[in-house]
Amino acid sequence: MGRRADIIADLGGATPALRRYARALCAGAGPAIADDLVQSALQSVGARIRARALRPADLAEARIEAYAALVGLAQKKLADAPGPASRHPPVVHGLASLCFDERAMLLLVSLEGFGYDASARIVGASRETALARLMRARAALGAEGLRPVASSEGGRRAASHLRVVK
Amino acid sequence: MTPSALIEEADLHALVDGELDPEQRRKVEDHLLQHPEDAALVEGWRRQNAALRAAFEPVALETPPLSLREAAARPPAPPAGQGPIETGAIHWGRPGAAPRPTRKLDEIRASRRRQALASTLLTLIAGAAVAAAALLFLASRPPAQSPTTRAIAATSYAARAGLTYATYILDPRPVEVEASRRGELLAWLQERVGFSRAPDLSGVGLRLLGGRVAPGVAAPAAFLVYERDDGGRVGLYFERAEALAAPAGQRGQGVSVIEWRAGGFAFVLVGALPPDVMQAAAEAAAAAVAATPAEVK
Repeated sequence: MGRRADIIADLGGATPALRRYARALCAGAGPAIADDLVQSALQSVGARIRARALRPADLAEARIEAYAALVGLAQKKLADAPGPASRHPPVVHGLASLCFDERAMLLLVSLEGFGYDASARIVGASRETALARLMRARAALGAEGLRPVASSEGGRRAASHLRVVK
Repeated sequence: MTPSALIEEADLHALVDGELDPEQRRKVEDHLLQHPEDAALVEGWRRQNAALRAAFEPVALETPPLSLREAAARPPAPPAGQGPIETGAIHWGRPGAAPRPTRKLDEIRASRRRQALASTLLTLIAGAAVAAAALLFLASRPPAQSPTTRAIAATSYAARAGLTYATYILDPRPVEVEASRRGELLAWLQERVGFSRAPDLSGVGLRLLGGRVAPGVAAPAAFLVYERDDGGRVGLYFERAEALAAPAGQRGQGVSVIEWRAGGFAFVLVGALPPDVMQAAAEAAAAAVAATPAEVK
């Protein structure tokens, strides 16, 4: 009983990291959208724990549920969100050019430091699928990953193992 | 087949992501010493990670807005258009009207957003600073995992900079013109590279040793070497970036370069045929190469 309340209260400590993840996942779509997503995700997980629809064994598991809720909500909400503005750093433009699934996975591992198993649980995919997304995301973001992806590079992914250098 | 031929791309990712046990880790690191092209990939991913953290870490350091404090402990807001129905009372409001507490929260949130805008600007500046520091740190790591021999044609600035670093940083003569002849160095770089500034990094404990002109990706590049008091060295590489976007004249017009990997080798097809012919040729060649029982990544 008190345990559930503790977990819900402790989940608040994950808010800064969730905001970081949401902001990156939105890839320049705006801090307001990102914060709304975090709020909805936290409320939904909190409500499900209180209703015993979710029974996380510990805080780590509750965190995973919160990220999973955030990814689910973001996928719906970001479909028609605006892209990044020119003032955003190149890496944000690179993120925006990735498809949602790849971006979600890359950020879980690279930015949030989740292991492969936890990340796969969060995105609701098998470990293999999740890994393939991570690899595609890193390849698409490029070795530089710090410059905006030029439109002429669109054909780069035609054959995934071939890379048109020039 | 050497053990390192068994290393797949997934293992390289796992190394970057800390998913390997110590023994696997050692194996992959040994592999990187012998395969500079894979080492460059790993280095590129680490740089991506650093850039992502630099861009978004400041968000995690902000105080979360009011609307997010203890959000998990609050029940979700009622769906729009359905105000709470009070027991024993008639609800006279417009059917779509939001209940008062929600509206107030929205106002608070709006004012927080104005503050957030200001802090975003600060965040961007801080982000740039963190990025620069992160890159410096990455570059200043001793070349434990970074191979000392790099002979593969590098195609990105990062890879080329890595090659330059590996070539010169531990050389008995890391620079050609020493910092004591600063004016001469800067004039030389200005003439060959087109940009000559040797940033003062003494604020982070790095002293300029000197620099040289080095082969770049598409044009001559500059390589400046900085040293810390304890002997740790950092290289700063720069090259005119437009040179890659406008390669005409430098390497011949209409030359396509397509790169792929198979069986632990990097293959690059170079030619001046039309791009679609080049693409088809590369796919055919890749298929032919992969027909031998070797991993294809």
